[in-house]
This record gives sequence, C-alpha cells and structure tokens, in this order.
Amino acid sequence: MIYSDIALDAVVLAILTDLFILRTQMITRGIYWLTYALIFPFQIATNWWLTSRKIVQYSPSEIIGRRLAGAPVEDLLFGFSMILMTLALWEFFFRRNQLNSHASDG
Amino acid sequence: MTHFSYLAVIAFITLCAFGVNLGFRLRIAERWLELAQTQLAILVIYLSWDTWAIAKKSWFFDSQQIVNVDVLPKVPLEELLFFLVVPIMTILSYQALLKLTKWQAPGEAE
Repeated sequence: MIYSDIALDAVVLAILTDLFILRTQMITRGIYWLTYALIFPFQIATNWWLTSRKIVQYSPSEIIGRRLAGAPVEDLLFGFSMILMTLALWEFFFRRNQLNSHASDG
Repeated sequence: MTHFSYLAVIAFITLCAFGVNLGFRLRIAERWLELAQTQLAILVIYLSWDTWAIAKKSWFFDSQQIVNVDVLPKVPLEELLFFLVVPIMTILSYQALLKLTKWQAPGEAE
C-alpha cells in the first residue's frame, strides 16, 4: 500500500470512528466544517513551508504525483483525517468525563 | 541555523496556540484530562503510521534542517512535537469558534 491508499483509508476510518464508534457525529455539524475551513489555509501554509524547502520529501513511488502548494494532495487527506479524529476524540472524552464526574457526585 | 527549519514552524504554531488560548480566554488547561486523553490517542495512531511510513521510506527528512534527535527509530523529534501541537491547535480553533459563534458543543446539547 502506498501513501495514497493509506491516506484515503485514514479518512474513511476517521469518518467511521466519528459516526459509529465514538458516535460524536462531528462530520454532520456545521461547527466541524467551520473549524476545518479555518485550519485548511494554515495546513496549506505549513505544507508549503515543509515541502518547498525540502525539509520533508516524498518517495515518488508512494504518491500519485498531484501537488497543491508544493505538497502531495495525499497530505490533504491525512490532514482531514487527523482534524476529524482529534475533534471526535475531544468531544467523546469530554462527554465521558462529564458523565463520570456526575456519577461520582452521587 | 538551518537545523531549526522544521522546529521553526512548530514554534510558530505553538505561539499561535498560546495566543488563541489567552486571547479567547479558553482556559484549555482546565480541561487537561480530555486534552491528555485526546493527545495520547492521536499520538498512538498517527505516530505509528509515521514510524511505519518512515521505515518504508515513504517520506524522509533533510538532516540539515532538523535537530537530528530521534524519538523512535528514524523518527525525528519534530514529528513527535508536530503530533502534539497540531491537535492542540485544532482543539483551540474549535473552542474559539464555538465561543465566537455561540453555537453549542454537541456534548452540551443534551
């Protein structure tokens, strides 16, 4: 499996985790997409910094070769998956900790 | 100086994180428990992926532009810091937008 496949799998896995495992349903909420829209240009800028200066380089056989601001498009999939996974986990743990603290309050 | 090229972008994101946390009075430190839990889960998932990808040479780093401290086999310190600071910045952006829009967090709806 090359980076392209894994990045795509990571997106699918993040969506399934959000919808069915953690049941946070972040992806159905406006606030999630607003947050993603805010972070997106910063991700592009970070990608540009890291790739245009060749701080990180990708093996040509691992990517499909399409690039945006210097970075392989696969990085966008990776970014999307990590942002979704982070916010789904954040909401999941928040709710669980709330329930636990209410339970211990008696 | 070039050894700090990667570290520079991490420092910038960290600075933004402090700025957003203070500027929007988010008091993120008070939510240390879910912060630690989220960070740990993200680290396990994404640093494993990263370590594996570096081992199979999917991507590689310019040794002239990193500090050359490995935290895992061939995984530079900067990668670990990246997977710590980016999730925090993601959460802070989310919390700041919740405050700004006055929308309810999904967990507060019930």
